[in-house]
Amino acid sequence: MKRAYIAGAALLLGGAGALWAAVPRGSNAPAAKAPAVPQRIVSINLCADQLVLALADRSQIAGLTHNAADPELSGAAAKARGLPLLSNSAEQILAIDPDLVVGMPASRSAALAALPGQHYPLLDLDTADRLDQIYASIRQTATTVGHPARGEALITHMKSELAGLPKPGRGRVAAYYQRRGYMTGTGTLIDELMSRVGLVNLAGKLGKPPLSQLSLEEMVAAEPDFLIVESATDTVTDQGSEMLHHPALKGIPRISIPQAWTVCGSPEYVIAARSIVAQIAAIDGGRR
Amino acid sequence: MTRTPRWLLIAALAALAMIAAAASLLYGPVNLSIARLVAAASGHGDAIATTILFDLRLPRTLLALIVGAALGLSGAALQGYLRNPLAEPSVLGTSNAAALGGVAALYFGFAQLHPAALPLLAIGGALLSLALLFALAGRSESPLTLILAGIAVGTLAVAGTSLALNLSPNPFAAMEIMTWLLGSLENRSFQHVWIALPCVAIGMAMLFWNGRALDALTLGEDAAQALGVDIRRMRLRLLVGTAIAVGGAVAVSGAIGFIGLIVPHLIRPLTDRSPSAILLPSAIGGAALLTLADIGVRIIPTTNELKLGVVTAFLGVPVFLVHLMREKRLW
Repeated sequence: MKRAYIAGAALLLGGAGALWAAVPRGSNAPAAKAPAVPQRIVSINLCADQLVLALADRSQIAGLTHNAADPELSGAAAKARGLPLLSNSAEQILAIDPDLVVGMPASRSAALAALPGQHYPLLDLDTADRLDQIYASIRQTATTVGHPARGEALITHMKSELAGLPKPGRGRVAAYYQRRGYMTGTGTLIDELMSRVGLVNLAGKLGKPPLSQLSLEEMVAAEPDFLIVESATDTVTDQGSEMLHHPALKGIPRISIPQAWTVCGSPEYVIAARSIVAQIAAIDGGRR
Repeated sequence: MTRTPRWLLIAALAALAMIAAAASLLYGPVNLSIARLVAAASGHGDAIATTILFDLRLPRTLLALIVGAALGLSGAALQGYLRNPLAEPSVLGTSNAAALGGVAALYFGFAQLHPAALPLLAIGGALLSLALLFALAGRSESPLTLILAGIAVGTLAVAGTSLALNLSPNPFAAMEIMTWLLGSLENRSFQHVWIALPCVAIGMAMLFWNGRALDALTLGEDAAQALGVDIRRMRLRLLVGTAIAVGGAVAVSGAIGFIGLIVPHLIRPLTDRSPSAILLPSAIGGAALLTLADIGVRIIPTTNELKLGVVTAFLGVPVFLVHLMREKRLW
């Protein structure tokens, strides 16, 4: 029975399956320790991609996720071009034999779960909902990839950029409104960005959870001062984005930022904050 | 059984449609008092009530009436022509084929080139599916053949819609597929009314034109021709009229099932059962029923708004089953 199973797996997975079957190891062995300066780093998460790209040398990077080079999703897309992009497949990871796997968290990856016999050094990052968590992730990544000084320099740079940022929101209410009427609530990076520039999150005012759905009617009735939308929805490409262009919303000023800057806790946080400040100033300037 | 006078039936259905439309304007996720809505309607209301009434609830209500009328009439005309009580745009796959056309227009960018591309491609999809269907099983003896051909055409269209959405660069394809296949009138604007209204008006006019020819056809094709009916022209009018009405409706609402099936069946016992007598009442009844169903999706408390096709399926499948039971002995 067992032999049939292994033969079947080998047949299915080809070379990779055969290799997996040939390396029997205890399933509870601890993960290996990463070398001081890992040379075959694989990132299996879009947000981890951006941190690895910012902090490791290009020559250290052996693989990123397939979304890493997508400018819609990744703030570091330009830097990712030319590097190997993986399709979250166990086979590809096995072939690379990484000496560090970075994920969010890496230990719960489905691709790694398919390789129970392999024990790569892992770096588990937490999802960042606040700026200090971004700093923590930067420090953690910088140390593990062997460039702690780069991490400190990046954090110092971000802090100085944010220090001089004005708060043009002046307590006005904004709603982060996504396709199909989803609204981003409190306890999120978006919420923190809003309060950093002096805006009040409508979701917090209405007591909504971190992600809620608000109908157009309710949005019209709530009368926010600003709508913050993802720049990908600036053009109508489907019914989900069409909703954000409904004539009922035309009176509400819009701030548009690429989701690549906000979907992850990444160094792009600073660019997002500066862009919101500039757009509020432009809207206020246009009114005068 | 004494049948209801025609004018009374039409007046009652029109009153029902108007009550449904009024309820649709009064009810929404934001609670607005009647006084506030009346003030907004007369032009003295506050900005919020005016925007909600004129930009959100009015186009939605108009679309429910327009789309419902198109589907109800198409069902009545198809049932009359095919002499098959189960004929209906969604059962025959026409609605899904129109949805495929609409999806192609939106997701491959044709709709951005010209606003007319969306209804035109939806009409094209509907026309293609009807032509295919008539070629496969147009006037076959068994009602089953037609329904099976409809299932084949409809399944092909659904598969095409899913494939088109999966091939498009849209990361939210699953959600969009659901909206197109189950239908929704959420978040519609007057832009959609201007897309649907001309198509539905032209299509419905072509279908009404067929009324007397459909009556003659109940005597058989030869007798109808002897009475001076040009069968080929009539078939063309029916095909193109249905495609334009259904295509225009589906382009803005997605494929909403069963309206064209339920309404003629509810209406028929109240008339003399001639095909022409159910055309106008089916159109008005369809408008009323879809508007009521659209109020239903807003009232039923769900975190995500219910899709219209879900409500119409719950209403329509029992009608379908009743016919299945009745027809069983013929199979």
